[in-house]
Amino acid sequence: MEKIILLHELKNIVLTPKFYSSFLVITVLLLLSVFLGIRNYKDTVKQYETVTRLSNQEMRESSDWMGLNAKMHRKPDPLQIFVSGINDDIGRYSNISTFNPVKLIHSNYSDNPVYAVFRFIDFTFIVTIILSLFVIIFTYDAINGEKERGTLQLVLSNAVLRKDYIIGKITGIWLGLIVPLFIPVLLSILIVLLYRIPFAADGWLRLFLLLSASFLLYTFFIVLGILSSTLTPHSSTSFLISLSAWILFVFIIPRAGIMTAAQIIKVPGFAEIQGRESSFEKQRWEKNMNDAQERWKFRNAEMAKFPKEKRSAIRNQKMWEWMEEEDKDRKQVQIDIDNYNVKLTEDFRNNKLQQEKLGFILSSFSPVSAFQLCAMNIAGTDINLKNRYEDLLTKYRTDFNNYKEKKQKESKSPGGIRITIDSESGLKIETSREKGTLDLSGLPALHDYSYSFGQAFLSSVKSGGIIIFFIFICLGASVWKFMRFDVR
Amino acid sequence: MLKHIVEKEIRDILISTKFTVTFTICSLLIILSFYTGAKNHQLAQAKYEAGKSENLRQIEGLTDWLSVRQFRVYLPPQPLESLVSGVSNDIGRTAEISGRGEIPVEDSRFGDDPIFAIFRFLDIEFVFQIILSLFAILFAYDAINGEKEKGTLRLTFSNSIPKDIFILGKLIGSFLALVIPLLIPVLIGTLLLPLLGIQLKGDEWIRYSLIILSGFLFTGVWLSLSVFISSLTEKSSTSFLYLMVLWIFAVMIIPRLSVIVSGAAVDVPALDEMNSKKARFISQLWSEDREKISLFKPTAGDDMQTTMNELNKFMQTNADDRDKKTNEFSSRLNEERVNKENLMQKVAFTISRISPVSSYSFAVTGLAGTSVDLKSSFRKSVEDYQIEYSNFMISKTGQNPGSGMRFVISDDNDEKPKNINPGEIPEFKFRPVLSSNLISGALKDIGLLLFFNIIFFAGAFFSFRKFDVR
Repeated sequence: MEKIILLHELKNIVLTPKFYSSFLVITVLLLLSVFLGIRNYKDTVKQYETVTRLSNQEMRESSDWMGLNAKMHRKPDPLQIFVSGINDDIGRYSNISTFNPVKLIHSNYSDNPVYAVFRFIDFTFIVTIILSLFVIIFTYDAINGEKERGTLQLVLSNAVLRKDYIIGKITGIWLGLIVPLFIPVLLSILIVLLYRIPFAADGWLRLFLLLSASFLLYTFFIVLGILSSTLTPHSSTSFLISLSAWILFVFIIPRAGIMTAAQIIKVPGFAEIQGRESSFEKQRWEKNMNDAQERWKFRNAEMAKFPKEKRSAIRNQKMWEWMEEEDKDRKQVQIDIDNYNVKLTEDFRNNKLQQEKLGFILSSFSPVSAFQLCAMNIAGTDINLKNRYEDLLTKYRTDFNNYKEKKQKESKSPGGIRITIDSESGLKIETSREKGTLDLSGLPALHDYSYSFGQAFLSSVKSGGIIIFFIFICLGASVWKFMRFDVR
Repeated sequence: MLKHIVEKEIRDILISTKFTVTFTICSLLIILSFYTGAKNHQLAQAKYEAGKSENLRQIEGLTDWLSVRQFRVYLPPQPLESLVSGVSNDIGRTAEISGRGEIPVEDSRFGDDPIFAIFRFLDIEFVFQIILSLFAILFAYDAINGEKEKGTLRLTFSNSIPKDIFILGKLIGSFLALVIPLLIPVLIGTLLLPLLGIQLKGDEWIRYSLIILSGFLFTGVWLSLSVFISSLTEKSSTSFLYLMVLWIFAVMIIPRLSVIVSGAAVDVPALDEMNSKKARFISQLWSEDREKISLFKPTAGDDMQTTMNELNKFMQTNADDRDKKTNEFSSRLNEERVNKENLMQKVAFTISRISPVSSYSFAVTGLAGTSVDLKSSFRKSVEDYQIEYSNFMISKTGQNPGSGMRFVISDDNDEKPKNINPGEIPEFKFRPVLSSNLISGALKDIGLLLFFNIIFFAGAFFSFRKFDVR
């Protein structure tokens, strides 16, 4: 019996003009989103290659080690085609230098705010907004619509168990709406293959995981529609309920959750943190400057007791030692500043983490936000993308600065400009000698982290679980309500 | 006759469950958007003030104006930003000021706090654009064919009612039934603004009123379009499906596609390549200057102070010269990019105006001062301030800092130098686009919304004249 109901439902869905037009729209939109995602990804790859090439060129053209700086761009991930996440909101690259901490700057949206006006369309957007809306249009009258047409009473007047009927109905609708979706999904994968997007085995597995999560969300909206159709005898009312629930889950809860968290846990602004960093940096450099002055005063006082020739000889003899001493102190200042910044950043991040955690807990009352978080975790375009990259680049900065220092020592050039003034020899300016371009062999390479399937899976389990929980709740409620539904 | 139809329409709508549900949801959302907007504004204002005072605090205790580095200015949050955020969270809000050179504007709110970028904010623009447009469809998708399905249309026209009066009454009735009740939450929200610390000035009240008016005009567009589609189709289920597809395309697809299409059509020079060219040019100039610096010989003899002054002057002249050449080079590159960017933006916005959603969005973000122009007006204010700052620094130190060099002459007396007073630094004033310009800029889009209303109404009017009421 279930099979007959299932087939009947399948026929009811698939053979309607509503289905054809919706299916066409969904197919076009899904393919369009993938096509635009590919275009966007290719642009990002181009940006990445350009910044890397230009940074290498700038480094090669540098003539002294002291002024050597690098630019490190975030490596694009092909999964961003499907889930752009926060990819366009956070900075694309960071400068790597001795004195400035790592910071991702120049986000796509801040550089090109015209794209920020309406933002991009991606697969997740289509799933969360368009597909969910269409599912509601197909399911809001699944039960009460049959009652209004009088077919429900007719069916149940035969020897059909209510349990069999509702299970057959749900399965039929589910199959009728899920199976056709495989066509645009497979076509999307075909486009990815045709454009030769470099998906590794891991990438394919993550894509499979993403598609599974999308089907879960899709299933949730199917059972939500069926549930609302069992809640009231009128299809117009159940449509209102479904639409309100859709608005609540898609637009309100996710935003309200994050905004509530922002009100409950207050995190200092980045400008304030920057100000504190600068404040410490200034104090430390000021101290270094004063200490240096004291040291030079002491050295000069020590030399003052000798005749002029001896003074000059001592100065020539000890200059390198003094410079080393000054350099050591300067390095210590930089280490102190870096350590202070690390501590400040850590506190800032911990504070933010609390806020994020609360925000995500509150927004997880909506399976849509659970899906969005799940999708971003799978694609690696999640909230931690910025921290992951900044940590990676901070480690790289240490290697880069060590390399620079080693090379500068080997070059035996003081680097930069050194100006000395004393009452005996007057003003003396030394600039590092121009030696053509630098030999950058041995320059440490940035080993990009690989976001593995395992990481993606583990970080998405919780969100996936939330969606499954919502599915079971709605499913259970639909069956329970239908068992008590007045079919007359 | 018209009055009767309008009254009947209003009554039908007001007593329906549909109205009760949608009105409750809309009211809650509107009040919530005002409340959260005001709260966010408070938070942004607090962060702005904290950043500003921390920025001044880092200067406290310094004894030499030349030690002032990393002096930053911030884009202050604007009151209307709390209601229509536009791109205000996407663009850089901080600029590190130096006496010379190009000043990058960095640190967007979404970049610093990506948690807010995931789901974005709930503002008035969003409520009108997504929720009210959907509810307008819900109210009017069966305005004509629904009556036919119920058989009431035939009944109505069995009396001597002209078709044009009927359709006009339908439209006016549904518009009033939707808009007038919504004025209540809007008024409550408006009252909440000053209570939550958002004080609007005279011109801002005018802009705010126009934002609300644009919202209602936009709702009117969806109402008249729904009536139009309802009079074109026989079945209400068909008109609903058509309207949903149109809604998806108008709200989600056309605006986004237009930007992508124009991005592909207009080749804007890549910013990274441009920045690299500038960096290499500066590096080349610096290499040339290093040669000159090493050859510098003071004429002053033994006098330390005069030697330092001479060196400072020499370095200043070199830096000014470098600055001039760099500015000329950068201006050429920037001009080309800005022109292309403007062209791309113009093409994108023109195409996207096919959708009333874009017109609405441009009108309200323009009125709130959070359109894409916010970036350029902040940049302009920063550039103006740079001149003010550099003049101040010259008056304090005799030189324009920015080259990264600092020459210190100290004598052996133990007298502690006095601390500088950070309060003397001229205050940064953000100069937003004048209200009159914002209003005149938005009028074009408000006019377009009006045009869409008229077009769809005319469409509904003419198609209903041919509508078979049987």
